[in-house]
This record gives sequence, structure tokens and C-alpha cells, in this order.
Amino acid sequence: MAEEHILVTGGTGFVGGHILNSLIELHPEYKITVFDLPASGTWVPPREDIAYVQGDIREIKDVTRAVREARPTAVIHVAGIVPTGNDRYSQRKYLKEWVFKVNVEGTKNMLEAARNGGVRAFVFTASITMVTDDNGHDYPNFDETIVPTPSLIYGQSKVAAEALVLEANSLEMATCSIRPSVICGPGDYQLVSTIQRCIAKFETPWIIGDGDGLYDFTYVTNVADAHVLAVHNLLTTKTAAGEAFFITNGQPIPFRAFCLQIWAHFGHTPPFEVHIPKPIAWVAAYCAEWVTYFNGTEATLSRGSVKDYCQLAYANIDKARRILGYEPRVSLDVGLKTSCDELRERLKAKMKGL
Amino acid sequence: MPSLKSIAYYTFHPSELRSIIQWTVWHMPVHERDPTKESKELQRCFYFLDKTSRSFSAVIKELNPELLVPVCLFYLVLRGLDTIEDDMTIPLDSKCPELRAFHERLYQDGWTYDGNHAKEKDRDLLLEFSVVVTEFKKIKEPYQVIIKDIAKRMGEGMAESCQRTEKNPDWAITIKDYEMYCHYVAGLVGEGLTRLFVESKLANPMLLQRPDLHESMGQFLQQVNIIRDIREDFDDKRRFWPKEVWSKYVDNFEDLIKPENKDAAMNCSSEMILLGLNRVPECLHYLAGIRDQSVFNFAAIPQSMAIATCELCFRNPTMFERNIKITKGAACQLMVDSSQNLQVLCDVFKRYVKLIHKKNDPRDPNFLQISIACGKIEQFIETIFPTQKPGQKKELADTKNLSPEEAAKKQKEKEEDKWDMIYMGIAVGATLLFVTLMMVVVAWFAGARFDLAFAHLYSTLTGGNAPGPYPEKGAEPSPAHGEL
Repeated sequence: MAEEHILVTGGTGFVGGHILNSLIELHPEYKITVFDLPASGTWVPPREDIAYVQGDIREIKDVTRAVREARPTAVIHVAGIVPTGNDRYSQRKYLKEWVFKVNVEGTKNMLEAARNGGVRAFVFTASITMVTDDNGHDYPNFDETIVPTPSLIYGQSKVAAEALVLEANSLEMATCSIRPSVICGPGDYQLVSTIQRCIAKFETPWIIGDGDGLYDFTYVTNVADAHVLAVHNLLTTKTAAGEAFFITNGQPIPFRAFCLQIWAHFGHTPPFEVHIPKPIAWVAAYCAEWVTYFNGTEATLSRGSVKDYCQLAYANIDKARRILGYEPRVSLDVGLKTSCDELRERLKAKMKGL
Repeated sequence: MPSLKSIAYYTFHPSELRSIIQWTVWHMPVHERDPTKESKELQRCFYFLDKTSRSFSAVIKELNPELLVPVCLFYLVLRGLDTIEDDMTIPLDSKCPELRAFHERLYQDGWTYDGNHAKEKDRDLLLEFSVVVTEFKKIKEPYQVIIKDIAKRMGEGMAESCQRTEKNPDWAITIKDYEMYCHYVAGLVGEGLTRLFVESKLANPMLLQRPDLHESMGQFLQQVNIIRDIREDFDDKRRFWPKEVWSKYVDNFEDLIKPENKDAAMNCSSEMILLGLNRVPECLHYLAGIRDQSVFNFAAIPQSMAIATCELCFRNPTMFERNIKITKGAACQLMVDSSQNLQVLCDVFKRYVKLIHKKNDPRDPNFLQISIACGKIEQFIETIFPTQKPGQKKELADTKNLSPEEAAKKQKEKEEDKWDMIYMGIAVGATLLFVTLMMVVVAWFAGARFDLAFAHLYSTLTGGNAPGPYPEKGAEPSPAHGEL
């Protein structure tokens, strides 16, 4: 059998980096090439022989060149952008154009280059937000039969891009899509640190709504494993071809419990707890948005985050278990502890740096 | 006669009183036994059933007639074994052979046992055990085989554990030891009952192919009992909590009881509860395989009592001070809810799981795992009974079955609705604006001094020294509201 060669786009990023590690661990025989924007100076490939091609997925010529040079047999397309903070809830036109340009156009370019370059397997990183970005609705225990109708830009861009990927599935090139839920782990600069910062801002005692709706979190190495299982499947049995899979830790817990555990890892327990009814929180968030609009800061509280916080949404991952043989190797409690320890080290390093 | 304390309690918990009345007045047994058709020996068996068990006799007596006698005898056989095992006055070299040979006694006509101490509470059962033997030989042969097999294996397990306890009272070292003990005293019962249910065609035969499910049924009940009885067992010098768990929190087992170690003991008990909670999805799965109402009630009632007891013990320091129990009212409510169907039972589990979730404390090292275990139960229930909540998206379902024309029409209607809203908003706004303007004009004609009012407003807002409407009076600050 010919040697397999995997091209990972976005390989210098958070999820991409963990996919490299997982590839090295589970399939040391695979050759790997990374395609990404010029990396920050600190990036070191996790294995010496990993080639690194610089380029922008928005430029078809960059992408074509990368595929022509590397001649990969499979592509794991991770690269994309996620609007964060208040932008996550924004509907501004220029933002939408930008996100679509990267997430949809970029994917289109990748697909075209891969097809022309004789790639046999194409794994795409979508997101569970395709479903849950439909803010304000509850989704208990949903599976892949659900039709995503997201209202936020990011989810919309992933729906459009995934459709392209799954349509491109053919006998020559098998494609599939991985839809992970919210991810935590070393290298994450969003989730855990945002929640940790609530301690200093005295935001921990407030509970919006009941605070008991279940929510999915996933440890990053499990997401990486799922990608590797998918690419292996498409290169061998192809039972996953043309399919999409939700990937979570399979351990839904209330958002509040997730926050409390993070705070506990940082030695903080809310001194008291106050339940704020959702409508009041919504009004407060509306005011907070105006305040932050005028003084240009970023607030934790916004109407979108209130809805996020109250949403009940968790997936059933039986399909991934059945077809990909996926089973989360790292339990959420272990994963979250690792994430917090890493954040603590990072904060310490930052303090020293100052 | 109810005690003063209970009168006071139910005055403030009328819903629990209601449950008691509901259960005692309105509960209709699915089946009722008919003592007139029973032999004298069998009547004696039921007499012992009432005497040896408070909680089980009621549900057993309502069982399907096919299983009524076999399950009653099964219970008495197990009780007989238990009575020999529990009696600390019987010397080990006669106790162990007796336990190991117990299954053979079931075929020895007239067999009785008088080795128990006079104070052993169920001594009478063994003194008259011949009635059980007589009736046992009358039941269908497949049932006999099952009961005998379980009695044999349980006797074996009990003898082994007696010998181990003799050597070392701290025998429960690992979680595996602890679960092994629970397997012998409860897991085997689960197996025996399941075989009886399937044999009588009152349960899905698939249950026999999933031994993990009936094992969990027994494990969950037994583990919850062991957790709840910590104080009582401690006073009787018995230890069931495994060292693998408690040694993480205290140095010596006795320290769990000491009030100064309250926090450590609480965390330890939550790890014990966690072990039990992990079994719950399998218990619910098992109950889904039962086909007969009376069997369902028989299996479900102890389970719902167990989850309620779990919730009662969870982060409750009193469990280390004295024996605690769920209230009679709560128990009646649980019996009402557990004798309907699986969905009602699942609601009970969901309710108690939410309560456990609420009590969960982030300072507890098991916090997240408890949360995960609770989430798993909720997700499992959601898998068998998906909810349709108002929060869920509805339009999707509506538009799915529409033809393109209908969809277009709907879209158009929506568009019209939107513009209706906008026009209405403009109309209301315009009216308000007009009225405001009219008032201002009228005020102006009447001589209102808007210039002074604005100047004053400006000065109070900026804190500047713009002239106020009135000269300042002494040192008093001018009132903030402009008086026109």
C-alpha cells in the first residue's frame, strides 16, 4: 500500500496542532504537511519531518500550489475563523462577508485543489454551532438527522461550507464532516480564560435563568482523535463518506457546573448565589451592550451570551461511535483540570513577563 | 396514633400528607392474593413474609399470580440464608458449611434450623423452615432450578466473605471487593428475579443477554443501603465502605464519624454516591424490558426509593450522626409514581437528579463527576422519552411538509405581518409626538419659561454655575427638579 500523506490546513492553530499530535500518535506511518498562514515565531512542528507550507486558503493559487508541491493523499481542512466576543452575535454585513470569505470560499478553494490534485480523502471541521447557533432554542439530545438552521454568522458559514464538502463526495474523493462542540484544552485562548476572568470581575454569584440546562463541552484531544479516525476511515473502509458527525465528550453538564469547576480550580467559590430571571438579565445585557459600545470595552454580558448561557443543547454521539469507532479517550473532568493547569501556567508566565 | 412531631411535620408538608392518603385510600393492587385457596403451609409462608420484611411484602403480594408464590419463597430462602450469615454467635466452622449446604436443604422434607441465638429477629423462620420446603417442592420445576442455583451461589459467596471478615474486618479494600460483596448479596438476587420474570414470560428475554443490566439493579439498591446505613453499621462494627474510597479523605475509618471531619466525610460520601449514580441509566434500561404491570411495580418501587435515598444522603452530614430515612409521605408519593409506567418513573428520577445537581458543591473533588453522572441520567431519559419543549424550534416542522406555493404564501404573510408592525409603530410614535408638541405649545402660551428650565437642567447635569431659575437661598443647594 502506498504511503499516506495528510495535508492539515490550519495546522499551527489550536485544534490543528492537536490533530498533528493525534496523527503522530495513532498513525506514525503517515506523512504530514501543514498548510497555514505565516505562523507566529513560536510555532515548532511536533515532529521534525513535518513540512510547512505558507499560504492563505482565500487564494486559490496558494492552495493549488500547496497541493501540487506536497501531493497529499488526504486533506484535513481545519482552517477557518471564529468570530469571538460580541462579534459572535453580530449580524454586521462586513463581518459576514469576511467570515464567509474565509470559511466558505476557503473551503471551496481547498476542495477544488484537492480534487485536481488527486486527493482521496477530505475531512472538514464543521461545528456543532451549525445547530446551536440558533440562539434561544433548546436542543436536547439531538443527532445528525436534525436540519441546521443557524441564525448567527459563524454557524451559517459552516452550514454553507459543509454542504460544499458533502456534495463533493465522490468515488475518487471521499469526504466527511466533523462537527465538534465547544472545545477546551491547552492552547485555547477563549473558553476557559473568559470564564476564569469572571472571578476578578465579581461575576461569579449571578445565575441567569435556572442554570440547569445541559450543554456539551469537548476536550481538544478527543476532537483531534475524531479527525484522525475520520481520515483513516475515508482512506480505508469509506463507511463515513458523505456523512457528518457530531463530536462531543458525551458528558453533557450544565454550563453553570462547568464554570463552577473552573472557578474551583482557581480556588474560588462564589460567596453567595443569586438567580436572575432571564428577562431581567436580557434587559441588563442590552444596557451593558450600550455601555460597552460607548466606552469600547468588551463585556461578558450581552444579549447573545445570556441566551447562550440559558440554552439547553447537547448532542447524541452514537453515530460517531458506530461508524468512526469514536470514544472520548479523555474524560471531561481530567481534560478540564489539564486546561486549567495550563491556563494557570500561562497566567504565571504572563505575570513574570510584566 | 401519630406522634405530635409527625402531626407538626405534615401540617407544614400537606402535599406529603396528600400522598399518604392517596396511596392508602386509592391504591388498587394489580393482583390480590386469595388466602382461602392456599394451603396451611403457604399461609404460614406469607405470615413469615410479613414478619421478615416490611417493604417487600406489600409489593410481592401484589405480584402476578404466576410469580406470587415463587417470588415469596425466593425471598424467604434468601432471608433464611441472611439470618444464618448475620448471626455472629454461630461459630464459623459450623456457619460456613451450613451456608454452603443451604440449597440442598430446600429438598430435605421437614428441615429446620435451631442454631440461631434467641435474640436473632428472624429465628422463627428457620425454626419452621419446613413449611418453605413443602411449598418449594410444589412450584414449577424451572422456578425451583433458578431459586436453588441462586441459593447455592449466594451461600458460597457468603461463606467466603464470612471467612474473610473473620481474618480481617477491613476486607473491603478495593472498589472491586465492595462491588463483589454487593454482587453476592444483591446482584445475584437481580439475576434470579430476572430469570423468574423471563421464565414466566413477563419480561423481555433480551434482559438475560444483558447481565450488566440486572447486575446494576441489584448493585444500585445495595450500594444505596450501604451508604445510608453507615452509622448503624459502624455502631454494629461492620464496615462496607471500601478503603480505596475512604482512604482518600481520612486516615482511619473511624474518622468519618467524627464531627470535626465533616467536610472530608461529606466528600467521601459523595464519591460513594457517585459509584451508585453511575448505575442508574442501566437500571432504567432494565425497567424498559419488563412487560407486566405488577412486575414493573415490584422492580421499580425499590429503585425510586433508592434514588430518593441517594438525594437524601447527598451532602447531608446527619447520615454520619444517625440513621436517616425518607419521610413516609415521600415514600407514598414514590410508590404512587412508581406504579404507573416508565415515563412517570423517569420523571421521578429526573426530579431527584435535578435536586442532587442543586446540592452539588464545587469544593467537592467529585463535583464535576457527579455533574457528569447526573447529565448522563438525564440524557439517557431523553433518549427513551424525547421531550418537545416550547423552547424548541417549531417552524421547522411546519415548513417541512408544505408545498413550495404554500411556503411562498407563508413567507408573504410573514412579510406583511412585519410591515403591519412597522406601520403600527410609526402611528403610535407619531401620535405621542403630536401630543407632546401640543402640550409644549399650550405651556408656552401659558407663559412657561423653557429657557430657564433648560439652563437649570444644564447646570445640574454639568455641575456648572449656569444661572438657576431662582436665586440661591442661603447655603442650601437648589433642588434638582426645575419648578415651572
